[in-house]
Parts: sequence; structure tokens; C-alpha cells
Amino acid sequence: MNRNQKIKLYLFLFLLTVAVVFAIVFPRLTMPFGFSYIIYLISKPLTIRLTTGSKKQRLSYFLMILTATLFLIIPLVATLYNVDTDFVSFKTELSQAQKVLQDKFFAFKVKVFEEYGFKINIDPISFVMTKLEGLATDLLGQFPNYLSVLFEWLLLVPLFLYFFFMESQNLSRELLEAVPNPIFEKSYVLFSQFNTKFGEYIIAKFIEATILGTIVTIGLLVIGFPYAFILGLVAGVTNILPYIGPLLGIVPAILIAFLSKDPNVSMVGMLVVFALANLIDMILVFPLLVSKIVNLHPVIVVVSIIIGSQLAGIVGMIVIIPFIAFFKLLFKEIYKDLSVHL
Amino acid sequence: MSYEKEMAEKLARGESSSDKLDIPLLKYLWDASPLSFITSKETYHEFFKKISVLSSFSDNEVRLFTQFLHRREFQANEVVFRQGDTGYGFYFIFAGAVNIYTNHNREANDQGDLVIKLEKRQYFGEMGLLEEFNRRTATAVAAENTILLGIFKPDLDQMLELHPVLGAKFLRETALIMANRMGQLTKEIVALKKKIKEIEQRI
Repeated sequence: MNRNQKIKLYLFLFLLTVAVVFAIVFPRLTMPFGFSYIIYLISKPLTIRLTTGSKKQRLSYFLMILTATLFLIIPLVATLYNVDTDFVSFKTELSQAQKVLQDKFFAFKVKVFEEYGFKINIDPISFVMTKLEGLATDLLGQFPNYLSVLFEWLLLVPLFLYFFFMESQNLSRELLEAVPNPIFEKSYVLFSQFNTKFGEYIIAKFIEATILGTIVTIGLLVIGFPYAFILGLVAGVTNILPYIGPLLGIVPAILIAFLSKDPNVSMVGMLVVFALANLIDMILVFPLLVSKIVNLHPVIVVVSIIIGSQLAGIVGMIVIIPFIAFFKLLFKEIYKDLSVHL
Repeated sequence: MSYEKEMAEKLARGESSSDKLDIPLLKYLWDASPLSFITSKETYHEFFKKISVLSSFSDNEVRLFTQFLHRREFQANEVVFRQGDTGYGFYFIFAGAVNIYTNHNREANDQGDLVIKLEKRQYFGEMGLLEEFNRRTATAVAAENTILLGIFKPDLDQMLELHPVLGAKFLRETALIMANRMGQLTKEIVALKKKIKEIEQRI
């Protein structure tokens, strides 16, 4: 590499570092940017289908942006409309749940004392419930902040989406011109492979979550379990997290079954529905959709999720997997090259 | 009725034109204009129209094709790719020249034996675009300050997705380039065999 090439390479690496630092320092921009990118990746195959061979490109981009904006507006309006009544009903239900739990725990304490003569002096129920109540009050206190962030996203996400649909190809081509010649071919192909893998992973997880959520909802409706739609949604969303997700998804359903006084609410039936949904996911959906895209060892997946949660919370837990898959690909390529040249 | 007449009548009636300005199309029309010889620089459109293997492309197809290309500038003696590297792209020489070497030895800093010097409007590296795990069979070095127009695997995938007809046409032309190279290779092998036979007979 001559002096000019070295300067170009160092300049490029410097710009890359600046971009990464900018992304870390300004999460209020990075997060909606990342979210818009994910929406763009999910809608890209459909947009290509709509626009190939037609002149309705702008119209289909507009429809995509409108759909994404509506997805942001609907929860916002619903939250604003019900926020005060929801909070009151949550507090009432929490105190009812506390009463039921305390009654059950008291019965358990009496049973232990009668059978083993051991007296339990701790009161974990009051402790947990006080914490939960405090958390709910904090959430309500923070509500204006969340609302302002949501409004900010409402403005930024359509803007970024417009940018991705209309300008991303031209801009990425111009940015690629800055990549120095010796690393151009490899970095361009790897970047494209990462983009494809990331897009495929996000779409696959989206479809997987929808299928699992639908199965859980239908199953719970069939057995007459309450809150079937919300529990199905929770199961679908938490399922995005590999291994840990299914366990998290079942927790609210177990709590409802445990606290409910209705004799029709069956804990066993609910467990069967969740087991069946996860079984279908494990045997059919995951091998067909996701495993080919992310071929990683389970231990690596679990460790990656922990690292992802440390770095960027729930978002980190979701996006770390395709990143790790990309690094695996990158190391494989570097190893292949080294084995040829050494 | 010509486009100009139609627009003039619309304007006379006080109607506004619903057609929006299409900048890439205007740029293309400007480049493709018969008066473009006034500018000394050759446009991508003129360049590709003069490449024989892409002569079957219509003007619009050339315009679309150029959207998938990457312009790479190389200084004299700068390596484009080395023998043994993984290949992903196909290059057209837009300006300058490229030397192709074999038996390249990186550690000894020896470029190897010069096979051919490729000039403007010639192309190389087409195998890298088609083969899944392609290893470059020769080293390409810029003989002088050179501008290359490269198309790479992700571009071909995108082209096939967005403009399938153009993608198929380009693949057919690439296959033709490879068939021509195979034909040349076969001729050379036949000539070599003939020479070997002659030498054997003499001995």
C-alpha cells in the first residue's frame, strides 16, 4: 500500500469511527433511525413486488410510509385516550391481586407451621407489590417524557423512511466511493450480505412471532382463557428473543391463571396451549424460517443475548443475533483469505 | 402530436403540466444528445454503446445498467486484485489501461509474467461475478492512472430483482463473453498441441 492509499484508508476508518461515536452519543436519533431501517427492511420485499416493472414506485413508497405512521399513531391515540382509567383500573387490580396472593401465602404459612412447626416471618408479597406500585407511579410520572419521545418518533420515522426508500441507494453508492480500493470489493460484498441477512432475520422473526401469537390467541380463545388477544400479542413479541422469549411470554398467563377465581380458567389448558404453540414453533416454523439464516450454536446465542441486553436493552437483545451471525461470516471470510495467502 | 406541441397547447389553455421533472431522465437525454460531442468528456452512455458485447442493449437499458455500476479510480501500478483473492466483480476500463499478470508472488514482491495489457473499453474479471466461490486466476494492476466501472455480485442480484429483463440480458452477454474466451482458449490449446506434436516428431 502506498502513502496515498494509506491516507485514504486512515481517513475512511476515522470517518467510520466518528459515525459509530455519533450513533452512541445521540441515541434519540439513532433509535428512530434503527427502527425506520427495520421497517424499511420488513417492507422492502413487498415494495419490490409492488414496483417491479411498474411506474407506481412513489405511490407504493407513500403507502408504506403511511402504514408505518399509522402503526405509530394508533397505539399513541389508544394510550392517550385511556391513560387515566387504565391507571386506576391497574391499581385496583393490583390491590385485588395483592389480597389474593396474601390470602394464599397466609394459607401456605399456616400449612407449613401445622405440618413442620416452622414459622415463616417474611412477607415477600407486600414487598413485591409495593415495588410494583412504585414502578407504576414512576411510569405515570415519566409518561410526559415517553409521550414526547413518541411524538418525536412520529415525526422522525416517516422522514427516515422516506430517506431509506428514495435516497438510500444513491447515498450508499456515494459513501462506497470513499472506501479505499484494497478493501472495496470485500467490504461491499460483506456489507450487502449483512444487509440481506439482517433483513431476512428481521422478516423471519416477524413472521415467526405472528404465527406463534396467532396460535396462542386461538388456543386461549378455544379454552375460554381471559385476555387471549393480549396474551397472544405478548407471547408473539417476547418470542422474538430466542430461548428466553418463550419463558417470558408465559409469565403473564401463569399469573392470571394463578390469581383468577373463575373456575373456567384452566392452568393446565393454558400450559398445553403454550406448549403446543412453542412445539409447532420449534419443529416447523424455526427450522424452516430462521435457522438457515442464523446458524449459531445455542450457547453463543444465549451469551449474545446477555451481551446485547447489557449494551442496548431489549433492542440490543433482538438485533445482536444477526450482528453475531455477520461477525461469524466476517471471520470465516478473513480466515479463508489468510489460508490462501499464507 | 409531438410532446412539445402538446405542452405548448396545455400552457396556452392555462393548464398546468402534471408531469414532474425527472432529473435522471433529463441527465440521460443530455448525455445521449447528438450535440454531446461538444463536451470533451465521454459519457457512460457513449462508452457502453461502443462496447460490442453490450450493443444489444437499448438506450434505456444502458441508462438503467449504469445505475448499478461503481466508479473506481486507480493510480498507476495500483493493484486492482491479486491472484488467489476471492473475486466478486466484473470491471470495464473506462479510462487508462490494466496489466494482467500470472504467477504473481506477493512475498517476493514479484508481479509475475505479463499476460496481456487491456486498454480502454476492454473488460476483465467476469468469472468473479458468476462463480459462487471465485478465486482470481491472475493479478490485475493499473498500468497508468485508470478509471474502472465495476459491477459486483450484490449489484447483479439487485438488478435481477428490480429489472429482471435487463438482468437476464446482462447475464446472457456475460455468458457470451465467457464463451468467446473459451473459444479463444480452445484455439490456443489446439495450436499448442500442434506445436507439441511437431516438436515430438522432430525429436
